[in-house]
Amino acid sequence: MRGVRRFVKDLLRQRRTKPFTVDRADESQLRAAIALKAGGSDTGPSPEFVESLRERLRTELDETPPVELPRGNSRRRFVTSVAAASAASIGLGAAIERGLSGAVTAEPSPAEQTLTPDNGEWRAVVAAKDLPDGSVRPFDTGTMVGFVRRTSKGLYAVSGVCTHLGCKLALDAPARQLNCPCHNAAFAVDGSVLHHRLPIALAPLPSLMVRESEGVIQVFVPPQPA
Amino acid sequence: MAAPVHLHVVSDDRYPDWEAVYNDNVDRVYRLMYAKVGNRPDAEDLAAEVFVTALRPLRLAASVGEVRAYLLATARTVLAGYWRRTLGREITVLEEDWALVEPVADSGSTGAGARAEAILAELPERYRRILQLRFLNACSLKEAAAELGVTVGNAKVLQHRALRQAAVVADRMEA
Repeated sequence: MRGVRRFVKDLLRQRRTKPFTVDRADESQLRAAIALKAGGSDTGPSPEFVESLRERLRTELDETPPVELPRGNSRRRFVTSVAAASAASIGLGAAIERGLSGAVTAEPSPAEQTLTPDNGEWRAVVAAKDLPDGSVRPFDTGTMVGFVRRTSKGLYAVSGVCTHLGCKLALDAPARQLNCPCHNAAFAVDGSVLHHRLPIALAPLPSLMVRESEGVIQVFVPPQPA
Repeated sequence: MAAPVHLHVVSDDRYPDWEAVYNDNVDRVYRLMYAKVGNRPDAEDLAAEVFVTALRPLRLAASVGEVRAYLLATARTVLAGYWRRTLGREITVLEEDWALVEPVADSGSTGAGARAEAILAELPERYRRILQLRFLNACSLKEAAAELGVTVGNAKVLQHRALRQAAVVADRMEA
């Protein structure tokens, strides 16, 4: 109850609210308090906030590594750095292409990227007999989640985290795809992007090193923290 | 109050640059967040998080409709993450599909005012008054107490009871 009172007090004084343990009864009161406070007249952003966020975005988006492109006016420079940011964030060489009004966009290269952790270790994730040809199995080593699969050509492993905002992917075994529960992106079990409706360049899933040793499938992942 | 910037666009149009994306959407994104958290500093943090997260990988070749849908999807994720971090439960969720409504004649409208009025309308007079004074008119407890002709202590108790009752009403309206 004290948590709710403090929350309401902060809300009324327009201060940041503080974390506390909430039960179901509290939840309704918090929701009602928010609904009432949000029903007031002063619900728009202040001009100071709008301006300071614009400045912050300008700084943050311009701080990304430069790419080798002709420099023009400030708009061109900005768009260039957005492309650089996308390219940097997916960690791949990006094909830069010119879009509308001098805008450039970055598409991820289909080239595979293998994630090799510093100080990694081989961890058993599934018995070899439980991963027959053509099958896919999820794994969770505590430090990494992902999917291992066996084909006639060998063993493969990919990360199980969506390259958009980091949601955990779910295996749809019959469709042989990995679905993101957050924004409906889908990856093939080999990590390539199947489809998404995000207006961004979505990177494929990085691969992990995988091997079979003494009847178990192992993946190379970061060690558990001590 | 910031004057909302309107680009009169149709869904197939594209934004010329990131500032156009920002100008056209900052007001809406902020108001949506404010409607879901009810306080200015948190709404500012969350609106900032949406733009910082969304603008970096944004491809300007996407249509205005796609960009807005993407901002909304990012806002949903940001809001859910905020509640998980702070209270461990999703107190409010973003359900609005404003991205598909455009151009928005009244970008300020998130339906929050009507919702608050609807909750208040169901309450007994004293409860309605204290909540109106405290939540909508931004009166201090002292001012609200004076207005109602009661002591500050009484006003405090009245506010707690009124909010409990408002929660019951709001839950019933949601159901």
